Amino acid sequence: MEKAIIAVVGGGTMGNGIAEVFAVAGHSVYLYDVALEIREKALFDITDRLRRKSGRGKLSEPVEVILQRIRTVDTLDELHQAELVIEAVVERMDVKQQIFSVLDQICSQTAILATNTSSLSITETASVTKHPERVVGMHFFNPAPVMRLVEVVAGQFTEAFVVEKVVQIASEVGKLAIRVTDTPGFVVNRVARPFYLEALRIAGSQVASVQAIDRIIKSTGFKMGPFELQDLIGIDVNYAVTASVYESYFQESRFRPHGLQRSMVQSGNIGKKTGRGYYSYDRQ
Amino acid sequence: MTASKILLLGEGPQSEEVAHWLTDRGDEVVRFSETLENYSSADVVIEVIRDSTLRQLALAHVETMISEQIPIFVSGLTAYVAEVASWLKYPQRVSGFQPWLLTSMDVLEVIRPLQMEQEEQWLRATLFWQERGKQVEQVDDCPGMVFPRILAMVVNEASFALGEGVASAKDIDIAMKHGTNYPFGPLEWADRIGLDEIISVLQGMHVHLGEDAYRPAPLLQKLTYAKRFGQSSGRGFYSYLAQTDGQGAAH
Ligand SMILES: NC(=O)c1ccc[n+]([C@@H]2O[C@H](COP(=O)([O-])OP(=O)(O)OC[C@H]3O[C@@H](n4cnc5c(N)ncnc54)[C@H](O)[C@@H]3O)[C@@H](O)[C@H]2O)c1
Repeated sequence: MEKAIIAVVGGGTMGNGIAEVFAVAGHSVYLYDVALEIREKALFDITDRLRRKSGRGKLSEPVEVILQRIRTVDTLDELHQAELVIEAVVERMDVKQQIFSVLDQICSQTAILATNTSSLSITETASVTKHPERVVGMHFFNPAPVMRLVEVVAGQFTEAFVVEKVVQIASEVGKLAIRVTDTPGFVVNRVARPFYLEALRIAGSQVASVQAIDRIIKSTGFKMGPFELQDLIGIDVNYAVTASVYESYFQESRFRPHGLQRSMVQSGNIGKKTGRGYYSYDRQ
Repeated sequence: MTASKILLLGEGPQSEEVAHWLTDRGDEVVRFSETLENYSSADVVIEVIRDSTLRQLALAHVETMISEQIPIFVSGLTAYVAEVASWLKYPQRVSGFQPWLLTSMDVLEVIRPLQMEQEEQWLRATLFWQERGKQVEQVDDCPGMVFPRILAMVVNEASFALGEGVASAKDIDIAMKHGTNYPFGPLEWADRIGLDEIISVLQGMHVHLGEDAYRPAPLLQKLTYAKRFGQSSGRGFYSYLAQTDGQGAAH
């Protein structure tokens, strides 16, 4: 069977990772982003990662062969042949809706239109298309070539066979696909909230220190404690996800952000990327 | 280390794990039973009873038979240790500990309640655990302590999501293991520890901290009413009964 032609819209962190996943698995991939430099940077990043993988003997084909499958394009129109389009642009509903209304017109009737959104509604994104039944969430995790999970999200009008098709394609490229309904945070970003929030409440009420909490949690089998993990993800990013889930659930108290998060963000010490968060890091 | 003769209060998988862990370290474990026995030879008391009324009765009963010097270690899972200590005539020898995963964790959470004022009593209490190989981590006296509080809330959120039909139990577990590197899925972990244990931690926090955020998910409540505690009872979020359906049907 021929492998589906893939289009990726947005060549940032997620988009170029997703393009790599499909190219490595043998799919033809069209990659679109707004500016030439960004498209070049995306190809450069992919090439760099593939070379390293190849060096470690992790690829079954030469890097050049894989790279030949990826074509960067400078208009959305050039994506019309794609059978599965995965959108991974900035997390803004207006931008995504604009893209989906165009894709809906230029792509074949049978093409599946997927969004990699972490926090926006699939149903709302689909509402600007004539065929919301073929719009679906395909939520990869960062870094996309490494993390195995993909949340396949059914919007209110998504056809079941579209979900199944996406689950199948994701499995074929080596991912673990799960089926999720269109609810804020889907599964991972929702169920992970208390891991951080309870830790913050425990630290905030002086029940245990940040360091003690991390030591205790690691002793149960977690690779990182909740504070080390926030430092890695970025305290600002973690705080933004919490605030978004909290608002999306109409301020359900379980999701209420904690003052300690906000104060860390206000201080500018937002984790590893600034050299300091809950812990201090050497900056080379 | 000097081996102790330990009187263990509590039943069910949690106390089995405690008994097992102590016996492995050379201690002699005596189980508490309702029939009047003489426990005066015990030199340590460990308590892991969940039900508040039962634990109060058991502790009061045992205290009449042991000397006032005998240290008493109580679970800090569901109540303030200061409250548990307050039930006793000699509360100054009571300290708290976290019994979940006792056999697998190197670290042990311990609580020094307000009544344990003497430094020497506290040193003796922590030494008991250190001599048995634990790295003790002192936490403040608060129901649920650290790990049980965090895990119970993760399980609760997973239960809300499952009850709302967001994803299947199996998919929720896969999501947390592969989307964010959890060592176990929250629902399979709950089945191992026991849904009855998980919900009692949530209820303890709900009552003592008084916040709506700790309200147990409806599905978790119903499963525990139906005695689907997990592995211990054969069914929880998954089924462990004689496999007719392949590999354990998810709820
Ligand atoms: N970074 C993560 O951890 C992560 C994880 C999962 C999902 N996501 C989601 O993936 C999406 C992208 O996130 P990212 O981290 O890759 O962001 P990013 O900023 O790295 O990349 C976004 C890209 O979108 C491009 N873009 C903006 N407007 C565009 C348009 N109109 N047409 C085409 N391209 C456009 C930008 O030029 C940029 O290259 C978001 O929806 C985000 O929520 C992110």
